[in-house]
Amino acid sequence: MQLKISLAVATLLSTMALNAEDYVTVQYLQYNENKDRTDVSAPSIMINKDFGTDYTLNASLVVDVVSGASQNYYDESYDGTSSASSDTSSGASAFARGLEIKASDVEYGNTQYDDKRVAGSLLLTKRFENRDELTVGVSRSNESDFYSTEASAEYMHWLDSSKNQSVAFGVSYQVNQILKYCNSVGVDGCSGASQAMDATAFNAQVSFSQNIDSSSNAKIALFFSNDDGYLDNPYLNVVRNYKADSSADVVGENRPDSKIAYGLTLKYANALSDTLTLHLGYRYYSDDWGIDSHTLDTDILYEFDDDWIFKVGLRGYIQTEADFFSGYKDYFTDEVYASSDQRLSGFNALTYKSSIDYKINDEVNINFGANYYTQSTGLDALYFVSGFTYGF
Amino acid sequence: MKIVPLVALLTTLFFSGCIKDVKPWEKEILAKKTMKESGINPINKQFEEHIYFSKEASKGGGGVAGGGCGCN
Repeated sequence: MQLKISLAVATLLSTMALNAEDYVTVQYLQYNENKDRTDVSAPSIMINKDFGTDYTLNASLVVDVVSGASQNYYDESYDGTSSASSDTSSGASAFARGLEIKASDVEYGNTQYDDKRVAGSLLLTKRFENRDELTVGVSRSNESDFYSTEASAEYMHWLDSSKNQSVAFGVSYQVNQILKYCNSVGVDGCSGASQAMDATAFNAQVSFSQNIDSSSNAKIALFFSNDDGYLDNPYLNVVRNYKADSSADVVGENRPDSKIAYGLTLKYANALSDTLTLHLGYRYYSDDWGIDSHTLDTDILYEFDDDWIFKVGLRGYIQTEADFFSGYKDYFTDEVYASSDQRLSGFNALTYKSSIDYKINDEVNINFGANYYTQSTGLDALYFVSGFTYGF
Repeated sequence: MKIVPLVALLTTLFFSGCIKDVKPWEKEILAKKTMKESGINPINKQFEEHIYFSKEASKGGGGVAGGGCGCN
């Protein structure tokens, strides 16, 4: 018995050393899409600090600098008074809208945009005497045309004395404000004055975690979300009333003002050997816009020489299209809801993932990752993540 | 949606047959950073989730805290 207690103490101490959670990590993301579409540069920092054994504070900050173009319908002959970031001389602007324009002036291609997003979050975890955990958080995100504030809370409760089973329940509430530019007077009820639109998002999740044996664990989670308010993308257009060799209307898209979604995730991790670890994940998602999706995710990590961790991974994703989506310019007439956003189309996607983590010494790790994302819509993206972590 | 209770039931049945009572002194492997759900670097997991959120129509399942993004 005494031996077991000594072993338990020794293991606890080594576990605490392994889990030394005081660190600062600085990471840099470089994301580039094909066909001169979106480029993102995103430096970020995260600090995690334990205060005794009962409190942990986690703070993060990320700056996204986005430039490039998104694929969109527009009126090529548009010579309007767009004041937002757009290329009015070529007509390739998200604001190049018009009613009863010449059908031959309807174009589909890249419309330019630039944006910068600054987002920060703060999470505080409190552990109680029975080691249950309460985590509360706030986050804020600012863009030139989008502001978001979120509050969240999650409670994790141990179900057994060995701490092999736990259940967690979490909720978050997000308040968003979207600036809807109004440049095409007379289209979509636009008077010339931009509008601030509101949207909210409520998320809830309940999960159950289980240690299966000394080298594997699993988690199942059910989630629910309710988005409400202005859910359009203010920069995306659709074509209505298209008559070949005659006329067409290019107007802003229109999505329902609420979306209810639910789903399930399964996660499984298994240390196959001292050096090899397998992660498997599955997610099912369904919403009342008609989108169902399945995601399969797998990562394999290999530890080499105590200092190196190599990771390779593959993620597969498939979704059905939204009820109100069409990519065709001659599809929509007077439907209430209409969108040609490729993200609402039916497609599949694959991500090939790889990364290397190297421990320079007991305090400093450096990492580099290269990932390739490809969609059946024709979108391809390559993104790299590099950075370092300092434990203190 | 019928798939959700079905998968939950199958998962419960599957794990109920092979679960062991892991003692505290047997948890060294479970505590390794390679076993963490958030990955060996949590902020990189957030990058990934953000990319998927901005390119796909699905979201959720990774926790409730995340923050907003004007990438509808």
